[in-house]
Amino acid sequence: MDWNKDKSVMFSRVCIIVFAMLLAAADIGAYWLVSWFMGVSHTLGGLRDGYLLMATVYSCSIFAWILLVNLWKLLANIRRGMPFETSSVKYLRISSWCCAGVCAICLLGTLYYTPLILVSIVSGFMALIVRIIKNVFEQAIAMKTELDYTV
Amino acid sequence: MEIIVNLDVMMAKRKISAGELAEKIGITPANLSILKNNKAKAIRFSTLMALCHELKCQPGDILEFRDDSETE
Repeated sequence: MDWNKDKSVMFSRVCIIVFAMLLAAADIGAYWLVSWFMGVSHTLGGLRDGYLLMATVYSCSIFAWILLVNLWKLLANIRRGMPFETSSVKYLRISSWCCAGVCAICLLGTLYYTPLILVSIVSGFMALIVRIIKNVFEQAIAMKTELDYTV
Repeated sequence: MEIIVNLDVMMAKRKISAGELAEKIGITPANLSILKNNKAKAIRFSTLMALCHELKCQPGDILEFRDDSETE
């Protein structure tokens, strides 16, 4: 198979669409999802835990939507052949804060459901990775600007 | 504290247009404009050499160091 960067970007776009569809399904079916999860979980029980889990799902979902929109915009910059734009740094910064937001929400969620700590740690790491990529982009943009203005 | 490019002064002295100079030294008019308007961040030795060759001058005639702290 002839794999090139255009196909790679296209694959990333497809992945974002798939994730958006899954997220929309999770938002619509959050009630049934939580009911099913409460059924299989041994530690969760009662109406209070159900409400808290629903609140966690929906508040994380807001960050997930913002994250997906920003990733889509970042891919649009890459498709236009201009990934090293200041707007890309902005999108990465927002993405990083979205991961940090999920990390914080799940950390709070550990008060009623301890295993959420795993999601919190993973999203915290993700926030850190995206933040470092953002720093790399910032540096690359500064270098590109200098190169553009070297005669 | 900055480096000032006095290219327009030298061009006026040698009576050469921007387009003509750009063509002679092998850079684009857009890049010459960046240089002439003091927007450039850096200048290659090869470009400076070509400029000095065409304008028959020294690098010091084109570039000038201006220390703001001394003038205050």
